[in-house]
Amino acid sequence: MYHEDGDAPGKTIKSVETAIHLLQAIHDREEAGISELAEEFDLSKSTIHHYLKTLELYDCLENVDGRYRLGLRFLTFGGQARARETIYRLAKRDVDQLARQTGEEVRLIVERGGYGITLYQATGEHVDSSRTHVGSIEELHCTAAGKAFLAALPESRVDELLADLELTAHTPETITDRDELEAELAEIRSRHVAFDDEERYEGVRCVAAAITTRSGELLGAISVSGSTERLTGDRFQTTIPDQIRNIVGVVEINTTYSGWEDDTFDRVP
Amino acid sequence: MTRDRPRLTIGIVGLGTHGVNHAQILRSLGHDVVGVDADPSVRSEFETQFETTTYERPTELFETDIDAVIISTPNKFHETVATKAFDADLDVLLEKPLAHTVESAERIVEAAERTDRICMVGFHHRFRNPCMVLKDYIDEGYLGEISHIQAKFIRRRGVPGRGTWYTSNEIAGGGALMDVGGHLLDLLLHFYDWPSLSDVIARSRSEFGPREDYAYLHMWGEDGEARMYDVEDSVNAFLEFENGATADIEVAWAANAESTHTYNVRGTKAGAALDITNTLTEVEPWVDQRNDLELYEVRSGGADHFVNSSVVCSHNDPYRDELQTFLDAVVSGDRPEQNNVHQALDVQRVVADIYRASSE
Repeated sequence: MYHEDGDAPGKTIKSVETAIHLLQAIHDREEAGISELAEEFDLSKSTIHHYLKTLELYDCLENVDGRYRLGLRFLTFGGQARARETIYRLAKRDVDQLARQTGEEVRLIVERGGYGITLYQATGEHVDSSRTHVGSIEELHCTAAGKAFLAALPESRVDELLADLELTAHTPETITDRDELEAELAEIRSRHVAFDDEERYEGVRCVAAAITTRSGELLGAISVSGSTERLTGDRFQTTIPDQIRNIVGVVEINTTYSGWEDDTFDRVP
Repeated sequence: MTRDRPRLTIGIVGLGTHGVNHAQILRSLGHDVVGVDADPSVRSEFETQFETTTYERPTELFETDIDAVIISTPNKFHETVATKAFDADLDVLLEKPLAHTVESAERIVEAAERTDRICMVGFHHRFRNPCMVLKDYIDEGYLGEISHIQAKFIRRRGVPGRGTWYTSNEIAGGGALMDVGGHLLDLLLHFYDWPSLSDVIARSRSEFGPREDYAYLHMWGEDGEARMYDVEDSVNAFLEFENGATADIEVAWAANAESTHTYNVRGTKAGAALDITNTLTEVEPWVDQRNDLELYEVRSGGADHFVNSSVVCSHNDPYRDELQTFLDAVVSGDRPEQNNVHQALDVQRVVADIYRASSE
């Protein structure tokens, strides 16, 4: 996931690190009180209190009856971080379209530091609630988008990622064997689409394909997920993969020509 | 170089099969070419083949001293390139179809008119000798009133670049009808002198292109193994025009039938059968490019009899003649009547009407 410990090269500021770790802990718990944080961080309650009050003052936290939650300031930061991603601008409309076409949950995911981050998601008519939200982070080996990333990245980078990757089992279907994963990546490369058949969550299937540039650079992936009751047979194996490949192809072409659309010029008469 | 014709520098935007074909002809006519493509590997191939400069973006080209532009990008990007070329005071030869949608096509026409630039659209079959001969017979009234045309453009296996932009509805705007159907409708409307459409019955199908076992016997460009395929590969339609004339059309990128590209024209005085089939079939020993025009009449001199006459005319290169017409127009500044944007917009609208009818 994101950088966690203090082994960064060069000098770092301890209190900034503590603040970040506190925010992460609150994020992981969804909300937290002073006592539990003091215990986890092995700091006094008053120290934790000062941290939390400072973060609250700057709208990074919200205090609801003594319980702290992440504040909307992070949405402001997140909105800008996302808007800066070219692929978000180029693929958002197509993700919406695919959600309408399939009726399922469709996500645009990018790879950062060996994890997949949901940049955008749209839900179709079949979806009542969603397990993920914008910014959700997921492992590569057990998700369709993650495996699509691994299949699309250059070999040296994949070796690097696989060396660090712990193939944690989340369900009986999760791939935990490296050779099996490599074999599956080869298959994904030949059919340009990746599947997750209850490998992350029981009862959930997912199909994804990587978006790459003409020169092979990985930009992201588009995934469609749904329950094992709806994503069955031909719909899971053929129809949705075809729909994803169509959309990914369109996004790739639009990306290739994106520099042309908003270009202006002055012609020397 | 042709005598008395100045040497021109033509910018080609989109260096795929069509762009390279245009460049080869321009070179053989003694002109200079420079290119633009978004794909660096395509650019370097073009640079090597033609020993010339290329650019990544059209605007970089338009800032240089060129005489005119040929646009052969994927359909969706015709508009952005064409409108910028017009704004740079450049005349344009645009590969067919005009655009990927009627709305985009309308904006191209509006920009061409606003800037008063020449814009020809590459329906090159019109320049084939037998097509020009037939049009002349029709115009002089030899066939009488034409009431029906049966037109077919069928490829046995000829899906262009399966899984590339050609087979993406979003980028190409359609499949076989948008591609080969554009040629067919252009010639049909040209023979009929651009009547308005009043009614359409149509059905489109996608039966061959997405199949994993598709037998690749011919292709324009690369085969993307059906990575992207959401368009039709055949269409049948019956068209009725406001003047009461009708047309029965069939277009296919793939069909279990003989390749054919024919127009059977029924007039009150005479009929005509135009056959410009190109078999494109690489399993046959040679590619058959037909160039045939037959006229059918009934006369009574001496005794009632049928007259079947064959028009014999030479094979010409329609791409070359189309380009020459464009270049002559660029030099003279006189807008050519052939292949103008308004006709291309009519074709675009009929294509859209047929798609609409086929989804009803």
